[in-house]
Amino acid sequence: MLFPTIDFGLFFAFSFILVWGLNPYNTVKKYVLLALSLAFYASWNWRFLLLLLASGAISYVVGLYVDVAAQRPFRRLALGVGVALDLAILAYFKYLDFFIAQALNLAHTLGFDLPLGFVNVTLPVAISFLTFHAISYVVDVYRGRLPASRSPLDIVLYVSFFPHLVAGPIVRAHEFLPQLASPRRAGDFSFGENMLLILGGLFKKMVIANYLAVRFVDPVFTDPSQFSRFDLIMAVYAYAIQIYADFSAYTDIAIGVAALLGYRFPQNFNQPYRALGIGDFWRRWHMTLSNWLRDYLYIPLGGNRHGALATTRNLMLTMLLGGLWHGANWTFLIWGAMHGSALVLDHAWRRSAAFARWGEGPVVRVVDWALTFNFVCLTWLFFRAPSLDAVGQFVAGVWTDNGAVSTMPIVVLPLIACGALTQIAPSRARAAIGVVLDNRGAFASAAFGFVLLYAIVVMAPSAAAPFIYFQF
Amino acid sequence: MAAPRVKPPSATSPWAWLRVTYAVLALTVFAFPGGMVDWLDERNASGWLSAPLALARGIDAASAAVGVKEVGQWLRGQFAAAVGDADT
Repeated sequence: MLFPTIDFGLFFAFSFILVWGLNPYNTVKKYVLLALSLAFYASWNWRFLLLLLASGAISYVVGLYVDVAAQRPFRRLALGVGVALDLAILAYFKYLDFFIAQALNLAHTLGFDLPLGFVNVTLPVAISFLTFHAISYVVDVYRGRLPASRSPLDIVLYVSFFPHLVAGPIVRAHEFLPQLASPRRAGDFSFGENMLLILGGLFKKMVIANYLAVRFVDPVFTDPSQFSRFDLIMAVYAYAIQIYADFSAYTDIAIGVAALLGYRFPQNFNQPYRALGIGDFWRRWHMTLSNWLRDYLYIPLGGNRHGALATTRNLMLTMLLGGLWHGANWTFLIWGAMHGSALVLDHAWRRSAAFARWGEGPVVRVVDWALTFNFVCLTWLFFRAPSLDAVGQFVAGVWTDNGAVSTMPIVVLPLIACGALTQIAPSRARAAIGVVLDNRGAFASAAFGFVLLYAIVVMAPSAAAPFIYFQF
Repeated sequence: MAAPRVKPPSATSPWAWLRVTYAVLALTVFAFPGGMVDWLDERNASGWLSAPLALARGIDAASAAVGVKEVGQWLRGQFAAAVGDADT
């Protein structure tokens, strides 16, 4: 049940009235929200419901142990066991076959055979995001950022709440659990702004991302040898826009849907292709993942507190693991290594005397932006290609002109321009229009919403590509 | 000092939110009824969705009778042709 489908439209229409109808009865409402979330998850594979409930149960029990253990070693032990269990579940489903393949390859290279077989297990939807939420809760309890919840219902609902379940944003326990304590107030949210957020997400996904994927990016990456050098280069830029439109659309819809149900989620994107430097890029791209990696990995590793060498090691480790999180594939590891290396250089540049002298000048800022944007696009090549061989084939196609004529559809350029527009549009425009809609009343909101949705349906292609981050 | 603007009830009442949301969804179904008919039809193998399917077909017929369905289809076709996507 993906967001831009009739299935989800009906599911949301049903959930919407049920949740607000039960709002005065908060506990009943939470049970209903949990049931809705489990039904949402079961629409993919009901067999993994147990995994979802187990993850919530582990978090609940470990949180209690961490909270009540009086002595630090016991608290650390309980935390270690909880995090290890969460990571073991993730490793089993997501990485075991990858590591078995690497072990078999290594053994074969060294001239002997290992008695190992692949487990060939189905990857459960949302396993990575589930793990992030579960770890966030127990670590926050350990750090004293929030008390352990005495309500198993709250914890299972926190890890399984359907708007963030499949592809985030990663909502931290201290941000979400307090919101479960009392009935929600619609007046705390702008209906107009959140309606625009959802409709904007539908436009980005159904029009920009789907057209770019179906008409251009997917065919080029499937067989690069059939396309001209120009097409290959443009496909990388088109993919940069596609992945932004696709992923930010999902989180925009998630944030908007959660708000219409009365729950506030954190922002996940802030015009990332405007970034000046890779550090700035990661403060704008998938912000909830960046913050998670910073707080639960980079800082515990030592952050930048122990000199340049340790900072380099910590940045590289964080980004390598961030890359591996996206998938068990060497392409993601190299993608992470490229970003880690760029962060190290960025870190050094921003602390240099040259930066202090010239860094804020207009020319340096333009160069900074161009380097950052093109570097990020280059790394997307590794992210998108299915294997390192495919990357090699792609680069060879760019390097040696095969004489093919460009077949890039004309629609690609306006779509890239639309994507670029999302990066330079005033960030407060949506909130301002939302306020106007709120003040104009229900009829104006309905008319405006219908006209936008009508235009989206008119423009949407018949074929659709799946959400990119759905697989992570 | 200007007094803070008070939002109208339509902006702060979840029931007003529901009315607006349902109105937008209902109008869209009326404008493009084919999608809902197909969706229900695909899931009606055992006949348990016969009543909503009959309703959706009624909406489809009403939309076609007043020309709304054709306008939507024509606009989709025109846009697809304009962007070179007529075959999809």
